[in-house]
Amino acid sequence: MRVDTAISEVQDAELDLAKQLHRVRERHTAEPDVHHLGNTLAHRCEEHVRRLAPFAERYGAPVREPHVGSPRLLDALRRKSGELLGHSELAGPLLLRDLCDLSLAAHEVEIAWVILGQVAQAVRDRELLQVVTTCHEDTRMCEKWLRTRIKQVAPQVLVAG
Amino acid sequence: MADRIADIWGARTPHGADSPWPVRVDQYLAEGVPEGEVQWVPSACVLCSNGCGMDIAVHSGQIVGVRGRASDRVSHGRLGPKGLFGWQANNSPDRLTEPLVRRDGELRPASWDEAMGLVVERSRQVLDEHGPLAMGFYNSGQLFLEDYYTLSLLVRAGIGTPHLDGNTRLCTATADFALKETFGTDGDPGSLRDFDLCDTIFAVGHNIAETQTVLWARILDRLHGPDRPRLVVVDPRRTAVAREADVHLPIRNGTNLALLNGIQHELIANDRVDRAFVDAHTVGFDQLAAIVADYPPERVAEICGVPAEDIRAAARILGSADRLVSTCLQGVYQSHQATASACQVNNINLLRGMIGEPGRTVFQMNGQPTAQNTRETGANGDMTALRNWQNPDHVADLARIWNVDPLQIPTWAPPTHVMQIFRHAETGSIRFLWIVGTNPAVSLPELHRIRSILAQENLFVVVSDAFLNETGHLADVVLPAAVWGEKTGTFTNHDRTVHLSVKAVDPPGQARPDMDIFLDYATRMELKDKDGAPLIPWRTPEECFEAFKRVTAGRPCDYSGLSYEKLRGSPGIQWPCNENAPEGTERLYADHQFNTDTDYCEDYGHDLATGAAHERNDHAALRTNGRAILKSTHYLPPHEAPSEEFPLLYTTGRTVYHWHTRTKSRRAPQLNAAAPEMWVELAAGDAERLGVREGDLVRVESARGAIEARAHVSGVREGVVFAPFHYGYWDLPDGGATDGDPTENGATGDGPGGNGRRRAANELTVTEWDPVSHQPLFKVAAVRVEKVADGGGVPSPAPTTTTARPVSGDAPGTSGGDGVRETVEEAREETR
Ligand code: SF4
Repeated sequence: MRVDTAISEVQDAELDLAKQLHRVRERHTAEPDVHHLGNTLAHRCEEHVRRLAPFAERYGAPVREPHVGSPRLLDALRRKSGELLGHSELAGPLLLRDLCDLSLAAHEVEIAWVILGQVAQAVRDRELLQVVTTCHEDTRMCEKWLRTRIKQVAPQVLVAG
Repeated sequence: MADRIADIWGARTPHGADSPWPVRVDQYLAEGVPEGEVQWVPSACVLCSNGCGMDIAVHSGQIVGVRGRASDRVSHGRLGPKGLFGWQANNSPDRLTEPLVRRDGELRPASWDEAMGLVVERSRQVLDEHGPLAMGFYNSGQLFLEDYYTLSLLVRAGIGTPHLDGNTRLCTATADFALKETFGTDGDPGSLRDFDLCDTIFAVGHNIAETQTVLWARILDRLHGPDRPRLVVVDPRRTAVAREADVHLPIRNGTNLALLNGIQHELIANDRVDRAFVDAHTVGFDQLAAIVADYPPERVAEICGVPAEDIRAAARILGSADRLVSTCLQGVYQSHQATASACQVNNINLLRGMIGEPGRTVFQMNGQPTAQNTRETGANGDMTALRNWQNPDHVADLARIWNVDPLQIPTWAPPTHVMQIFRHAETGSIRFLWIVGTNPAVSLPELHRIRSILAQENLFVVVSDAFLNETGHLADVVLPAAVWGEKTGTFTNHDRTVHLSVKAVDPPGQARPDMDIFLDYATRMELKDKDGAPLIPWRTPEECFEAFKRVTAGRPCDYSGLSYEKLRGSPGIQWPCNENAPEGTERLYADHQFNTDTDYCEDYGHDLATGAAHERNDHAALRTNGRAILKSTHYLPPHEAPSEEFPLLYTTGRTVYHWHTRTKSRRAPQLNAAAPEMWVELAAGDAERLGVREGDLVRVESARGAIEARAHVSGVREGVVFAPFHYGYWDLPDGGATDGDPTENGATGDGPGGNGRRRAANELTVTEWDPVSHQPLFKVAAVRVEKVADGGGVPSPAPTTTTARPVSGDAPGTSGGDGVRETVEEAREETR
């Protein structure tokens, strides 16, 4: 049984997405929705990791801790450059690229949840399945939000930019 | 004669649910006007969303007064202070009477030919070099349906850009979205008459007494009548509405959703749910129940800062109502988690099974008088006639009526909201922006940013307006527009009542109706349909209205049974009005069949937390079958919370005497005298801590800017600072040149405070918006307050008559609206 691997996969993918969301939100302070929702969504990822912790223990997967702490130097630098970037014509193309990267990262998380959901069913772990169902839905919303935003920004950047 | 500045709502005419609201005709004529020689022209008031029917008094080619129309279904003859006195702005000597063009840095008079020539030349240049996505249009909530529909067709099919929005984004975008999310399409289900018939009123973030005074007069007549309805009020301020309440919940700003989830928790926990209705006519109950289970009153009390017992008491009243009317406005729409919260108000009525029947409805109210029409015509973020931009059949249908290629209509993404339009302008991808009848340099959040965008070299700004306002000062071309009373057209209020407003006088100088300006532009731009005929075939407002009837036929806002003839001087007729309902429709969803069919709905809905747009398959999976959708989500804390640096919560709002940025109300002497200057409100406890007394000059500062104004110690919630949003800079004694004139110092993007004394409330607000409706957040920001100078005991200029009523009572009472005649009529047959 490799339930532990499936759990670790999800946790790693979530943490990676959270990290990317934090980075992107700091880089795009002039896009308030990206900045604020980025934060909400990153916290959701971290919350997902926490919710999996008891199952990680149950199935002997290594402990994963979401990074918590005050904004680091790099974040502050990103924020500063984000402010400068705010007025630049490069802001649009960079935003589009970042959203596309996020979308790929979110998709990895989504697939990891699909796999864990299958595993949870196969081992008849009802509790785990419940957590998977809600968290998976959150991830799908995150992906969908990214798609909504990409649809809106792409033509502006690529046609009018 | 009554003083209707001092007595805002006029004489009471109490009644019970079993008798109609009595008629009281309010009239105000300028002094010395011979009443017998006056000619009366049928119209309705355009100073708020109530849209009270009125007649305009004309003498010697001038507007000289107004009177309410006795037969009007909205007002039963009444008018409020703005309606009675606001018309005087039309006659103001500083109207724009000729176009202005910027030359050598200054706005100078020009001919129409010259000005339009320049607008067209620049449009062509931008279109050639950058395409339609470099063009933006931002309009108003105060034009007529005919102006909007012309603009909508011009921009969507002619220019072909998605960047068209209205300032209704700031006032009713959330109403629009909440209605779409729950019921499938826009359009308030109820009738204003439901207030006459209900036994319980639930007002959430809706200061009815100041936003729609005639509606409040209507409600007061019930509250002071024989079978007084119970009233539950949610508002951080002790408004005149709150003072009448059975339960007042002065919650912390930004926590509406937690409270509303809590109330639903109680309704479900105490079995106050109409299960038969919910099972037959809604989807989403299980998910809603699972979410609100997390909001017991004790937890909610902690989040919202009100006693758990009061939350229970409110839920008990709502849970025992038989005829419940709920209503919400900006306290919900301009606050945190706006659409999510507005949807919960819908949910409460649905859980109680109270919709579509007399005295049972929910109002997602409008703010501006003609906001409903921007939505219906598609001059904001909607597609014409409540069509769904994601539904290719709807787009094809529209393209067929407009005789254009469907691909010409931009539908690859939702229409762009104004904050995003300004963002595109900021990064340089929008290079042409036409602003129609609105004043973003005072009304949008974070003003120093807005001013610096408008002043950008690479942005060509056209402004059409009746007056040269703060935004006009930053324009490259200014076009003089005619206003209400000077043009004919229709508009629709928040209970779907359509009125015709007939031209009473000529516009001043060379000012023209907005529709004529758009038609001129379309002609000069040679906009054509796919057969090479002019894209916009109409020339008169009536022809435009006829075209709009065709484009709405079969849609929920069906105008096909209306005509100018039918509307002239009528009591007002509610859409849908068609062959089946020739006299209009008082209530939607009387059969509890909602507009949620996937093929018919206006929107496939959103995830309320993130704003992620659902697509066709997601919606189809709900299998709505005409059932309403109970949308739900969790409360999240606001993004900007009070901190050590900025310990107080900041919120903005209106005062009864002013409208928007005072473009009109500042020019009506009685209204201006009643509220002549900016003030900020502090709670008594906060004032004491800060060492501030009534009338002292204080500085209020957020991370984005600072303002100075005189402090008013009022009944606002402790920890909250309130500022009216009306006051800008154009009327300062020195013309604003040293005192925050946008062209002088704002344009350089100066930091907080600038080099002059600033007073506009939006210097402090945050650039953030609701994820679903994209309505900006004006009700949640963190600030600090410090005393700047002693007021010497002179009270602040805040009016004493309403919410701003002082806590200690020695200020002189606000007055000065003499000369209004109120005539109460004997009971008459109820008009619809
Ligand atoms: S309530 Fe509104 S529409 Fe009626 S008179 Fe007052 S401002 Fe005008």
